[in-house]
Amino acid sequence: MNLIEKFKKTFFIENPVTGLLLGLCPTLAVTSSAENGIGMGLATTFVLVGSNLVVSILKNVIPNRVRIPAFIVVIATFVTIVDMGLQATFFELHKTLGLFIPLIVVNCIILGRAEAFASKNGVWDSFIDGFANGLGFTFALFILGSIREIFGSGAILGFKFWPEEYRTILVFVLAPGAFLTLGFMLVGMNKISKVLQGDK
Amino acid sequence: MAKEESALKVIIVLVLIAFFSAFLLAYVNKVTSGPIEANKKAETKKAIGIVLGDLKDYTFPENPEETEIDNSPVKYFLAKSSDSSIVGYAIVVKGPNGFSSDFDMMVGLDVNGKIIDTYVLDHKETPGLGDGMKNEGFKKQFRGRTLDNTKWSVKKDGGDIDALTAATITSRAFTHGVYRALLLYKKLKEESNV
Repeated sequence: MNLIEKFKKTFFIENPVTGLLLGLCPTLAVTSSAENGIGMGLATTFVLVGSNLVVSILKNVIPNRVRIPAFIVVIATFVTIVDMGLQATFFELHKTLGLFIPLIVVNCIILGRAEAFASKNGVWDSFIDGFANGLGFTFALFILGSIREIFGSGAILGFKFWPEEYRTILVFVLAPGAFLTLGFMLVGMNKISKVLQGDK
Repeated sequence: MAKEESALKVIIVLVLIAFFSAFLLAYVNKVTSGPIEANKKAETKKAIGIVLGDLKDYTFPENPEETEIDNSPVKYFLAKSSDSSIVGYAIVVKGPNGFSSDFDMMVGLDVNGKIIDTYVLDHKETPGLGDGMKNEGFKKQFRGRTLDNTKWSVKKDGGDIDALTAATITSRAFTHGVYRALLLYKKLKEESNV
């Protein structure tokens, strides 16, 4: 499968969030702004690439019976690295994402890719797969975060275009806004993937 | 893959994976612990700079003093001028029972117990509602107040503080946090007079 085809597929048709509806907990919780969405997405991408690489390298060594515990140890290692790395570099972002960084461990996208792809495929393919899925996740979180930030705070990436004294649609920043926005996003993405599949 | 592996192999592989990941994490921890510590210090320094406002030429100790007010742990930094007289207090208190949880805030008092400014360190209040406690419009009403010249509760409860619109619970927690800082000041004053 060529790369462009692969990326197109993981971005739209099998996008972890809008196509497979995986990893919705961090998706809904941290996307109150576009910046948080990107931060969370990139942190997850790093973990996904790292765990996919290691799992595909070790796939013949890891005994089948204990593959899940072994995968989780690998994933948890990368998550802890991200956690400490973010604290050392982007302290403010780490404060906002907070609890959701350690929770990447139980994000089913990552275990899902390790189990369904990396444990059956070569190193290079697994790397690409992790990267594509991570970017697809980041992309979905960024769109969701942007929509919520634009309507909820009248800003995009922290840049305010709406005067302070005007009211914004607060519900978009709150939890219900996440569900509503995600719902409409799913409608849009389904339409896009229908069109893309129709092309073939 | 379908063949059943021996227990010994399972154990060895798992132990090896755990061993390598522990080794890697120990290394990452060693590399990052310095910057993390520095970030936390910088954060505290920035907060103290804000809550002590116009005060200048003061020094504060690296680590705060700790005590307890109102059954809640409180930390405070004594800001001293060059002749080691106290010029201000930067007090870290918990705002109890916020909308999501307790939150950490810092209150700056001058030597007479007047509030200079407040700063929210770490909170999980609702964006757009409760986090309005960081805004100038809410913060400015606290400046210059003391323990005695104010009834320390929100107007809804018969006090003097204007609550944030649609965030009374956060406002109550914030007000109580400030009140705790003032209680600490009173306690410190009494201790130094004895």
